[in-house]
Amino acid sequence: MTFWQDPQFGARMITLMAALVLVLQITMVAQRWLVTNIRAFAIQSFLLACIASTIAYYNAATHIYIAATLTLLFKAVLLPVILQRLVSRIEIRQEIEPFVNVPLSVIISGLLTLLAYVVAEPLQAQTSLPGAAGLGRNTLPVAIALFLIGFFMMISRRKAVTQVLALLSLENGLFLAAISLTYGMPLIVELGIFFDVLVAVMILAILVYRIRETFDSMDVSRLSRLKG
Amino acid sequence: MTIPLLLLIPLAASGITALARGRRALELIHILSALAGFTASLLLAAGVLANGQTSWGNGFLFADHLSALVVLLTAFVYLACAPYAIGYFRTDRINQAFGPDEDGSVQLAKIRKYYVLTPLFAFSMFLVALSNNLGVMWVALEGTTLTSIFLVTFYGRPTSLEAAWKYAMIGGAGLSMALFGTILTYYAAGQVLGTESLSALNWSVLAGSASKFDHTVMRLAFILILLGYGTKAGLAPMHTWKPDAYSEAPAPVAALMAAAVLNCALYGVARFYVLTVRCLGPSFASQLLILFGILSIAIAVPFILVQRSYRRLLAYSSIDHGGIMVLGLGFGGALGPLGMLLHMTFHSVTKPLLFFCAGNAQQQTGNDSLRRTPGGLLHSLPVSGPVFLLATLAVTGTPPFSLFQSEFTILRAGIAAQHVGLSILFVTLLVAIFAGFFYHIAQLVLGPPSDYPQGETCRWKTYPVIGLCALVLLLGFWLPAPLYSLISGAAGVLAVHP
Amino acid sequence: MIAQLISVIGQTALILLFSPLITGFSRTLKARLQTRRGPDLWQPYRDLHKLLRKGMVIPDTASWIFPATPYVLFATTLLAGLLIPTIAAQAPLSLFGGVLAVVYLLALGRFFLALGGLDTGSSFGGLGSSREMTISAIAEPALMLAVFTVALGAGSTNLSTVAESAVGQSWRFLAPSQMLAFAALFIVLIAETGRIPVDNPATHLELTMIHEAMILEYSGPYLALIEWSASMKQMVLMTLLVNVFFPYGLSADGSPAGMLISVLLFVFKLLILAFAVVLVETGNAKLRLFRVPELLAVAFVLSALALISTFLFGGHGG
Repeated sequence: MTFWQDPQFGARMITLMAALVLVLQITMVAQRWLVTNIRAFAIQSFLLACIASTIAYYNAATHIYIAATLTLLFKAVLLPVILQRLVSRIEIRQEIEPFVNVPLSVIISGLLTLLAYVVAEPLQAQTSLPGAAGLGRNTLPVAIALFLIGFFMMISRRKAVTQVLALLSLENGLFLAAISLTYGMPLIVELGIFFDVLVAVMILAILVYRIRETFDSMDVSRLSRLKG
Repeated sequence: MTIPLLLLIPLAASGITALARGRRALELIHILSALAGFTASLLLAAGVLANGQTSWGNGFLFADHLSALVVLLTAFVYLACAPYAIGYFRTDRINQAFGPDEDGSVQLAKIRKYYVLTPLFAFSMFLVALSNNLGVMWVALEGTTLTSIFLVTFYGRPTSLEAAWKYAMIGGAGLSMALFGTILTYYAAGQVLGTESLSALNWSVLAGSASKFDHTVMRLAFILILLGYGTKAGLAPMHTWKPDAYSEAPAPVAALMAAAVLNCALYGVARFYVLTVRCLGPSFASQLLILFGILSIAIAVPFILVQRSYRRLLAYSSIDHGGIMVLGLGFGGALGPLGMLLHMTFHSVTKPLLFFCAGNAQQQTGNDSLRRTPGGLLHSLPVSGPVFLLATLAVTGTPPFSLFQSEFTILRAGIAAQHVGLSILFVTLLVAIFAGFFYHIAQLVLGPPSDYPQGETCRWKTYPVIGLCALVLLLGFWLPAPLYSLISGAAGVLAVHP
Repeated sequence: MIAQLISVIGQTALILLFSPLITGFSRTLKARLQTRRGPDLWQPYRDLHKLLRKGMVIPDTASWIFPATPYVLFATTLLAGLLIPTIAAQAPLSLFGGVLAVVYLLALGRFFLALGGLDTGSSFGGLGSSREMTISAIAEPALMLAVFTVALGAGSTNLSTVAESAVGQSWRFLAPSQMLAFAALFIVLIAETGRIPVDNPATHLELTMIHEAMILEYSGPYLALIEWSASMKQMVLMTLLVNVFFPYGLSADGSPAGMLISVLLFVFKLLILAFAVVLVETGNAKLRLFRVPELLAVAFVLSALALISTFLFGGHGG
């Protein structure tokens, strides 16, 4: 048995990648450059695909490979390309003055990670399976952290594109949660979710473009005419 | 066979519409698809009443009383909106709502968007009610958001973009919570059933073994589901997208969203409610539902009292009614779910009528402001004006209208569940809403004639109003026996006795 | 007792004699990467030799702090060097103190250096001192957090115990807390040794210099001591990084063959780390002074994440 066939090694790799996923999420919180954010999201999705395929490899599970491939194709390649094009078309590169400043955002993200740990703890109590079947179960806190930080990003950012990215990274958290808890959803559901995400991003991209055209800005705080 | 038929009809209608030429062809296909959809939903309801549950494709799609009721109501609202939309968009053309339009090509492009997207919208709603798999149900509910975003931006005004953005973002965030809840449910089920088979997310399978699920997981799952689907249903405090989207979308779209999507979202909550109650007992889910229900009704009160736009007024009324339905479910017992479903039924008939009247008024006066309209719609709109007032009475639950009966049922359920204080609060809030609502609409409708154009402009807009009005009046006095047995059957699905 | 004495003397010699070589290696490598010929490896030794022979100029305004600073700095740095495991897992003075002692000895040296910069009353000295303290105010918490993370994993703040606990756990360095703490410490290393994104050791440009500004008034043997201390500090921090995170080849037995292999591995690891630092130096431009805290904040966040991930991932995190 070579060292990479040892589930222990797989567990180490998965844990490490999950930690990097979390680091990338916090990078996205701390970054102002939209292009960097999009790249961070692409790498994050790539790492998620890697985590999924690692689990698939050790468990010889085909349906997880499919989910990993879809993640790789859509979230790591296609969506970043769409968003990249959108950003270059609307010619806005930086997030100026988020509602919450960067250091505070990072601290809040850290606190949210702790909250995620607290939430995940009771759920994880029953998941200590031995060997390959237990791989990746310990990434649940990261999944919940991605989810919570994604939410926080959505409400703390002004730029429409950043909000879309936040929504997508929140979705990444859900993917990781599904992988971690149940080794993915049933295939038909997985396909449906990917389809929905893809369509949603296209629709949102069109909306962002039109908001930019109409308001000459994509600052969502300008969207405040409808009240009461 | 009616189940796949129901899904195929709107899909086919959307496809054919995308290819068809000419406005009349679009309108004809739309009306035919709506009729066919409604007929199929009647067949489905009849089948369910006769044989109980039916399923299709190895239990992938399935229909019990609850699904059949929601499908029937969706198909009904879709049918009611079809002729009205024709008149509504024709009037838009006359009012030049789409800007200068010499040969009608701009209008054709616009209404083609409506006639392509609306059947897809209906398809998603049918799929919500018919899918057995809770994951597919989520996908379909997300589909209702995706298909309707461009219907909200229909007029392309800056404010429509704003409304669509809020709708997409808040809806997307909310639904992601619901997806998390679904994943957790799958996890809880997987521990009992194993995740290898597809059926581990099928509601009919889950409902049988929910009592063995892990309590912590299900508790968290239900909270997330309630927050998520509650956002879609527009329960407070996740309701903020609703007034914007309802006031910016064209009236038929707003009617579909208010009367049909609301049902679908609550249907999602109800399905998980059954699982949760079977797992945890009724008190946990009930307390949450009552909390959100009362909060939604209460939040609607101040906004209705000081409202400036009658389209937004209707949206707040929708929030209020969503709250009432959730409250009914929360009160539980035998009467609570019955009251909720009766309310859902009556609301689905009454709300489109209100939106049609509001749409007619808006097209007649050119704005939806309660302040700038001096009143006297009674004179300029001889049909829609008085019906607007009548529908206001109906929707605020005034006797003898049907919504009074359902609200009364929910009240009885509350007292039966010994929530006397809450029941009194409930009635007080309803009275306040009635006062505010009736005051605003009376100001709008009554009064001396003003200088707005006189007379109803289009019979396509008038006939649906007359038809729905007759139905609302009829339902106040007579509920058809098959419909009642369908509703009580559906209430039987929800009334879980642990 | 004798063995203890030998190891103390051996490690003192190693740190004293080997540290200028690392400085020389870095400079040569950097020059080569910039396609210059640069000085050869032994230039730091020649510099030290030259400075030690020269006379000194001491400013009139200087108090006793000015002459005391080089000695304090030299002594604290050397002492810190004796507290960390270099070749054997057992550091010579490991019973004396753990990683906290290392951090605080280095901090004491820095404190005196900053005082020495202020002491003469020259504007450059004050400027350098204030900058140095600003940076260390952020770098030190990051260093402490990262060190705590590692200590938490090993169950002790004693570096010898930390290194020993890591021996034999083959994939330990893959644990996220280790990786993140390593990344944080790497940034701290660059900041503490005054390397390029933070400070440029090769320039006397008043807008940017930090370390050089503080020691501008020193000359002759004092300057030699300070430069030597800087080399030793660099070696101490590098050793800390390589031996705590990659404790391969720390000889457990005292056999000569084992010792030889340990020495070679140790030198090899240090050179690789120095190479990495030089790569960072050549690949980046110097940051504006006001951006430096942001870089160090990254180190702090990384080490905080490292700490979090010791428990976030259950058994695999620490």
